[in-house]
Amino acid sequence: MIIHVNVLSYLLALGLAVILGLALRLPLLPERPMRYSWTISVIFPTAILALGFYAMLDKLGYQGLMVGASVGIITALFCKFLLEKLVPRPGDS
Amino acid sequence: MNEIMGIIIATIICWVNFVLIDTWMGLPENPGVKGAEVIGRAVKKRGGSLAGGFFQGNIVCSPDASAGTLLASVGCYAIGIPEGGLIAATLVYFGNRLCADPGYAGTTGALSITVIIYLTSLVGMKPEFFIVGMVLAILTIQGLAHPSASRLLGKLAEKMGRHTKMT
Repeated sequence: MIIHVNVLSYLLALGLAVILGLALRLPLLPERPMRYSWTISVIFPTAILALGFYAMLDKLGYQGLMVGASVGIITALFCKFLLEKLVPRPGDS
Repeated sequence: MNEIMGIIIATIICWVNFVLIDTWMGLPENPGVKGAEVIGRAVKKRGGSLAGGFFQGNIVCSPDASAGTLLASVGCYAIGIPEGGLIAATLVYFGNRLCADPGYAGTTGALSITVIIYLTSLVGMKPEFFIVGMVLAILTIQGLAHPSASRLLGKLAEKMGRHTKMT
């Protein structure tokens, strides 16, 4: 089976974001009940943002495994250190 | 696929997608912001359900699964499947956070409709059917009769264990 390189890039962005997110001690999932949790976790939103950011770059013409890897790493760092400052939870702003 | 038939099917799919996800994510349980509470209480005053009113108010005040469904459909139409849906999910997440909402409903709605659009494209459905379908679906909730729609949403919330405990 041939897997398109673009699919591999998405998987790489996703995988690296998850692995680095865990290494940076982000929780895997938000605490329960999840629907009211403001906690930044590995699955939500880090993994979803990694896919979204790669899709944006892909459509702007930047494709490939290196781009996927960079997106994964930058997204994990972004979620750990910047996201809460950029869009804080209510009451913190 | 016939355009009219496609739009009718897409409307039903969009309605089920956003109503179930929004209810599951607790929109009828409580108002996320003050504006949603005002809308919920106004709907109740006019003979509607408070839980359904909170649902309608929360939809107005932040991008929930309805907005996620619509924006992902637009994204898939304008940019492609699945890139448009993934980009829409990301933008909806930031929109949610700006509207004092943790973002689960909107993001889940955008991702689920992207999967649905991809799967239904295999049988000839086009993303544009879902854009029209979502507009019609939201019309049934927000555009025809708020009290009647809220009572239906309230019953659904009760069945799914998401009815509000507020009075």
